[in-house]
Amino acid sequence: MKVLKQLFIILGINLAGDLLSRYLHLPIPGSITGMILLLILLLTGVLKEKHIRETADFMIQNMGFFFIPATVGVLVTYHALDGYYFQTALVVVLSTVIVLAVTALSTQLLINLKEKWKR
Amino acid sequence: METITNAHLFGIFLTVGCFYLISLARRKSGFNWLNPLLLSTVIIICILVLGEIPYEHYMKGGGVIHALLGPVTVVLALPLYRHRKLLVEHKYSIIGGIVSGVVSAIVSVIVLSRLLGLNEFLERSLIGHSVTTPIGIGLSDMLQANEGITIISIMITGLLGASIAPFMLKLLRVTHPVAKGLSIGTSSHALGTTKAIEMGETEGAMSGLAIGVAALTTVLIVILLQFMGWY
Repeated sequence: MKVLKQLFIILGINLAGDLLSRYLHLPIPGSITGMILLLILLLTGVLKEKHIRETADFMIQNMGFFFIPATVGVLVTYHALDGYYFQTALVVVLSTVIVLAVTALSTQLLINLKEKWKR
Repeated sequence: METITNAHLFGIFLTVGCFYLISLARRKSGFNWLNPLLLSTVIIICILVLGEIPYEHYMKGGGVIHALLGPVTVVLALPLYRHRKLLVEHKYSIIGGIVSGVVSAIVSVIVLSRLLGLNEFLERSLIGHSVTTPIGIGLSDMLQANEGITIISIMITGLLGASIAPFMLKLLRVTHPVAKGLSIGTSSHALGTTKAIEMGETEGAMSGLAIGVAALTTVLIVILLQFMGWY
């Protein structure tokens, strides 16, 4: 019963997020609207952590599993890249490395600055 | 054979089986570099190709699992809630870090695409490579690009981010868990987040936060670019 109840709540919030995104014409997908909605419900105390804990933790700990069908989908979409495989891969790889480095270094710098400021 | 593969059970069984057995092998062997998502994908593709099983057959069951990505994204709010104190404490660093990451993602795709001679259509398809899949698809539509290429670039980004992040963060001497998590989530969305969660609770929560904030920031910047007549 517990898992069913938790699933019911989580799926309900996802559905509410989908409806909000669609009918308010938000530029973000329903799942992200649902995530914001769940955060608001938790912060306001309407929902307690125990109402979703076990199911949510299972999903988070095994998140990779839910991505498998999406990654297998590469099997049918790779043709769109014909002739540009190497260049496209290079852009994506370099850009990923750049984003990782820029975000990590700037965040660390800002945190260090703040800690210095405090002292 | 056709009657077995062309059913919902086939895709679900194959996906659950691969992921479980690889996760088990990883735990028993202690080889932490074994990536259950990447290996499952490779094994399933091999089975489909070698067995001449149509992709549509696999996706009957695979689609059921794929549909659960929605709820999985929703519950990412839980680690955020658990770390709300940290979030408030570091709010300016978090916003500054994510925004600089998102800007570097868009600028680097535009500059690198032009340097390497990609056409504008491909360039537009790659703009959203660092964001979470549902928003990446939305961005691709907004820019009238190719969804398939966007999805491939998102998957490469996620797998790459998840595998190189620990090494790169060590190399750059980034030690603060907030900075580690944010950079993983901003650069490699939910797929990278699977790695961040393994690194620690704080890293995982910050990475989960970055998925949403980075995606929203990317959408806003693209809207701005379109408004300015760039695309």
